[in-house]
Amino acid sequence: MNTIWRAIDRFLRASPAVNALMKRLGIDVAHYWLLVDLFGTLSDRRELPGHLGNTDMTLQKSSWLFYILSGIMVFVFVAIGMSPTTYFLVFLMLSGFLLLTTLLAETNNSLMNPIEGLVLAHQPINGATYTSAKLTHILRILLYLVPALNLIPAFAGLLLAGVPWYYPLLHLTAAFSVGIVMALFCCALFGWLIRFVPPARLKAVGFAAEMSSWILYLFFQLAPQLHWKRLRLPHWVPTGTGPLVVLAVCLVAISIVIVVFGLRALSGDYLVRVAAIAHGRSGKKIRVRRSYLGNLVSQWFGGPSARAGFDYVWNMITRDWQFRRQMINLIPVTTMLFVGAYQGLRTSPFSGQFTAAHLLPHSIGFAFFLVCSALPYGTDYKGAWLFLLAPTGAFRGVARGVYARLLTLVLAPHLILLPLLAWYWGIRDASLFLAYSAAASSVYLALELRLIEGMPFTQQPQGAGNPSIMIILFGGGLVVGIAVALQYFLVFRSPMVVTSVTGALCVASWLVARSSLDAFEISMRFHLGMLSSESKGFYTEVNG
Amino acid sequence: MSKQTRITSYGTMAQVAEPIIAFDRVVFSYDFVEVLHQISFTLRRGEVVGLLGPNGAGKSTTIKIIAGILAPGGGAVSVAGLPLPERAIDVKQRIGYVPEAAVLFESLTGQEFLELSGRLHGVTEETLQMRIREILETFNLSSDRSSRLDTYSKGMRQKVLIAAALLHNPELILLDEPLSGLDVNAAIMIKDLIAALAADGRTVLYSSHVLDVVEKVCSRALIIHKGSLIADGTLDSLRETTGQESLEDVFRTLTHAANVEPGVARIIAALRS
Repeated sequence: MNTIWRAIDRFLRASPAVNALMKRLGIDVAHYWLLVDLFGTLSDRRELPGHLGNTDMTLQKSSWLFYILSGIMVFVFVAIGMSPTTYFLVFLMLSGFLLLTTLLAETNNSLMNPIEGLVLAHQPINGATYTSAKLTHILRILLYLVPALNLIPAFAGLLLAGVPWYYPLLHLTAAFSVGIVMALFCCALFGWLIRFVPPARLKAVGFAAEMSSWILYLFFQLAPQLHWKRLRLPHWVPTGTGPLVVLAVCLVAISIVIVVFGLRALSGDYLVRVAAIAHGRSGKKIRVRRSYLGNLVSQWFGGPSARAGFDYVWNMITRDWQFRRQMINLIPVTTMLFVGAYQGLRTSPFSGQFTAAHLLPHSIGFAFFLVCSALPYGTDYKGAWLFLLAPTGAFRGVARGVYARLLTLVLAPHLILLPLLAWYWGIRDASLFLAYSAAASSVYLALELRLIEGMPFTQQPQGAGNPSIMIILFGGGLVVGIAVALQYFLVFRSPMVVTSVTGALCVASWLVARSSLDAFEISMRFHLGMLSSESKGFYTEVNG
Repeated sequence: MSKQTRITSYGTMAQVAEPIIAFDRVVFSYDFVEVLHQISFTLRRGEVVGLLGPNGAGKSTTIKIIAGILAPGGGAVSVAGLPLPERAIDVKQRIGYVPEAAVLFESLTGQEFLELSGRLHGVTEETLQMRIREILETFNLSSDRSSRLDTYSKGMRQKVLIAAALLHNPELILLDEPLSGLDVNAAIMIKDLIAALAADGRTVLYSSHVLDVVEKVCSRALIIHKGSLIADGTLDSLRETTGQESLEDVFRTLTHAANVEPGVARIIAALRS
């Protein structure tokens, strides 16, 4: 793919016609290529964590994952002899959804980047040039992902009965068209946001926009259960094929207008507006509140240092941009949980049936697996100097305070669910189940404390994920499968067994947490030691 | 001193020169909170003007408006006769800006960052390389030119920012706390450089909290307090009007910060409790 891209790149740079066209569109050709090269360099050197980038490992890994996924699907679909139309539509919709999800995240990362704004806002770059360079960056990603999702299905489609010889061409053209529409839609969406949302709110709104594909997913999951037939269209709404075609044409026209004006909005004074994300101060005042929970943690978990860890982690979890970005990975789990809960939480696990409730402690465990994996990394990682000045003895308290905060977050959903489940199942079943679930989740949390490698929020985010995480995920998946089976076949057959297992899990949680907290404390000291001795940039920043 | 009262008196030499910055009743708001209230002033070619004010007074906001980074919410701003924000690209071509925060692309080397900056301003390759070489040598950064910026100290980054602001030979130089993090020798050199640039016809707007530096390099001072321009004049005229001897005393008098003892006493009492 790199070779193809380099050939296209050479052709475009040398082509007088392309350069003339760019000039006609108001693009400064010299600046455009400077910026394209700059984004490539920054991406390859992992300046912007979280970006898929141009040619780096993250993009290649995503591509390979999509090749494997589409290969498996092709194997199944061809084996069952799926009809060509369904085959074509399934891959087209899958491409659309995955590209929308990927591109929304990438566009948000790429366009809502205040660092770029701060460095480049005072440079004489016009909006059209900057936007076109950014669009090129997004289109490069399409050049990787569209073939990854569609190359194998396009050619394997010839194996289906009644498929014409030109099917691969048709399939790839349709897939690229969907990709380009998605890319333009994403850029236009952020163009509108940048134009109309106040700078201080842009990051939060961009984050919400990233979730829109999952909201669509949720809608399509729940839509069949809604009572559409009860809806009566007003008598003046025309029915039949003709008016529907007109309606479709109008919708397409409106979409085109939205995209065109969105892109125009983006190419206006884009850099100035993005730089304002960093300059814009929010008028929102954060109320100083007395925390009774904080006082309890201070008393029971290790004094003021525990209170410091307890409050610090909560403040950063709710405000750190990088952490919130990482937590996007939680959205699919949360969405599926919500769908599962809607569909199956009305049935008690004590009824002998398999219900969504069986998965609750494990889903919470998985969510905290992601939280603990992301916790060491933060936007303001250079603030770590503060902890270098703390007395060594304070870290035990800080570790316990962090644990206390995470434990409250594990317990919170159980308390919230109690009245709802008591309504459906009765108070006895609900209390027993939630006690069991809370105990099982806290065992997960105690184990996952070991994933927090160092003081929370004090490390620079990494471009590529930790390879050992995949192994842990795979192993964890097997353990969860066994645990769910044990729950279903053994535990939820008798309230007595549930009570006993809950007690055993509480003891296990306490023992594991003690050991994990020791490891967490050592890990914090080790990483802070590394920071002070190895990081020249960090040290000079402190001394400078 | 009330918001309405303003000291305005400055030298006759600067008044006759052509204006390069014209601020006319400029208003600016962050998230519906107005931080600049109808500020008006003019800067003329060849002037070195200090922009002073307490933290959060609106100095950096004023500079960012001139640099075309922020668009004013009301009033009119022009630089070299070009209205802002309409002609922002042309204005950016003519200014050199050293921001208060040393934000850089940290994965680039010093040389690469300066090349990027120079090329974006359209400096020809031969001239660009010559200027980068000369500036880096003068700043003692030649040996680090190929190192990534994330390995630079705060002072080295500041030097890179100053170099980037000068590479395209701008007619207006906006300096927001330029001496932050610089060692004594580098700071002395920058002060001399400012004087030399002014002698060469460049205009310098210098924002700083370090009043003795402003006293040495600037001929005129603008003092902003709580978003309003409360003084605009030559240093001598400000001293004369307020009856104070040093610029520090002038500043304290105008910003109502003369009596700091009660505040200090409160902190000491809190520490003892």
